[in-house]
Amino acid sequence: MKVEDVVCPFCGCLCDDLVVEVEGTRVVNVENGCTLANEKFMGDHRLKAPIRRAGNAWEEISYDEAIEETAAILLDADRPLLYGWSGTFGEAQSVGVHLAELLGAVIDNTSTVCHGPSIMAIQEVGHPGCTLGQVKNRADVVVYWAANPIEAHPRHMSRYTTFCDGFFVKSAFRERKVIVVDVRETESSQVADEFVKVNPGGDYAVLSALRAIVRGKRDLIPATVEGVSREQLFRVADLCMSAKFGAIFFGVGLTMAQGKYKNIRNAIELTEELNRHTKFTISPMRGHWNVYGSNEVFTWITGYPYAVDFARGIAFYNPGETTSVDILRRGECDACLVVASDPGAHFPRACAEHLARIPTVQIDPHVNATTHLSRIQIPVAVTGIDAEGTAYRMDGVPIRTRRLFYGNYPDDLDVLEKLYRIIREARG
Amino acid sequence: MNFLLNTGRTIRQGSSVERKNSATYREEASAVSMNPVDMFEMMVEQGDRVRVKSGSGEVVMWVRPDPGLGRGKVFVCLGPYANHLIGTETHGTGMPDFKSTPVSIEPTEEPVPSVAVLMRQCGGVPYEG
Repeated sequence: MKVEDVVCPFCGCLCDDLVVEVEGTRVVNVENGCTLANEKFMGDHRLKAPIRRAGNAWEEISYDEAIEETAAILLDADRPLLYGWSGTFGEAQSVGVHLAELLGAVIDNTSTVCHGPSIMAIQEVGHPGCTLGQVKNRADVVVYWAANPIEAHPRHMSRYTTFCDGFFVKSAFRERKVIVVDVRETESSQVADEFVKVNPGGDYAVLSALRAIVRGKRDLIPATVEGVSREQLFRVADLCMSAKFGAIFFGVGLTMAQGKYKNIRNAIELTEELNRHTKFTISPMRGHWNVYGSNEVFTWITGYPYAVDFARGIAFYNPGETTSVDILRRGECDACLVVASDPGAHFPRACAEHLARIPTVQIDPHVNATTHLSRIQIPVAVTGIDAEGTAYRMDGVPIRTRRLFYGNYPDDLDVLEKLYRIIREARG
Repeated sequence: MNFLLNTGRTIRQGSSVERKNSATYREEASAVSMNPVDMFEMMVEQGDRVRVKSGSGEVVMWVRPDPGLGRGKVFVCLGPYANHLIGTETHGTGMPDFKSTPVSIEPTEEPVPSVAVLMRQCGGVPYEG
């Protein structure tokens, strides 16, 4: 059976034009997908049943046993951490937030080590963004700053920018100028009309220099700024100011480098300066599939996008204090529920060590680095393949994903609702 | 020799991210990319093993050349090998310094550990199923 207009469940692009061929409970072919999509749909490496650590070995257990034991762990904890959420759908994320409130837990999503600083900057100065459709149809200048879309979002350039014709950009390859700013040469920088190579940690200064040029202060610019020549800075500023519609996309090269959220604030303020001359927008390249959705769902319910602490009985948010890496670094949480992510692989080693010390439970379809650190893992259906629900694209557009077949696994929502019911009953 | 460590996504890492016990993931996640001139100065060739140390930990990886990197810079894709070197300081933002960790690198004959072994070093129990 061929299913058309399938939504890809890998990165934040949520490409919705895939054609997937299914035989029984197996995907046998994918059309239109990138390498990442093909691996996601065709990969068949799931954990077969719930597992529990027994001394220095592992044993299979039933779903009921795994869920009841997880509930007991969370009920017994004084400061549980519920982390992850970006690989699952909004309806399951919503139950996660209610579970956190019931437990007085901290709930955090993967933006804490991704675009969390971008959100902090947006909270300070706003977000002059737009949908990807606007970029595709209007943008004649596109800037990728500290991002490598060819490796991280392989179809971004072909669906929305460099290689994609739009309503007002009839021949994208000729009419659209692409500027890549990065600390290293990448496959993306090789297709750019202008590659700006910045010294590591130099983004803030280069952004400031561009702001000064756009403000008409060219005489203030020294011969080089963090490895970038004055002439190139002038050229880039002129390209941006002469655009009819410009779009900046920035990656975690800005959020993770020195300056963190201040880099993003500076980039947003550069966009503001450019809007004195023309129309310019700026958007983060959200990476982990429905991470944008986790920010949306958390915000609807609690008022905060990530790192929400319910220990006081009300929602409290303070990045640097209630963020997962800081909580694990301080050895503060005494139990952790990981849903649809892999902190064992993607958090610093000291955090992984604390996850191994405390009872950690993981709800995830696959064996990953966190599996080895956990006490229990509960496998679930893969959203967008054998589970359906709502996810948000990187530009904030909600898209309903589809179930391609009915498999043998419960989905995240089934497991979390059971967990919630047991805990609510125990808490009275 | 001393270097500045940068981390980030690669398409091979993304392709094998749901098979973290696999040889493909291990090979990609444990590769340290380096400017060829730095490799020449260190007298290492593609595939040679090196011990990478930071203020937060150390791990054995293998070297591959990347002329797109500047001298004194190295790149490792995000994952458990890179994170054996990243510290937990977030400067009040929640975000560790994934893009700029000073490291020292020296040749070694020791083997590159598997992800399961790295997690055992963190206190976990490897699951090989």
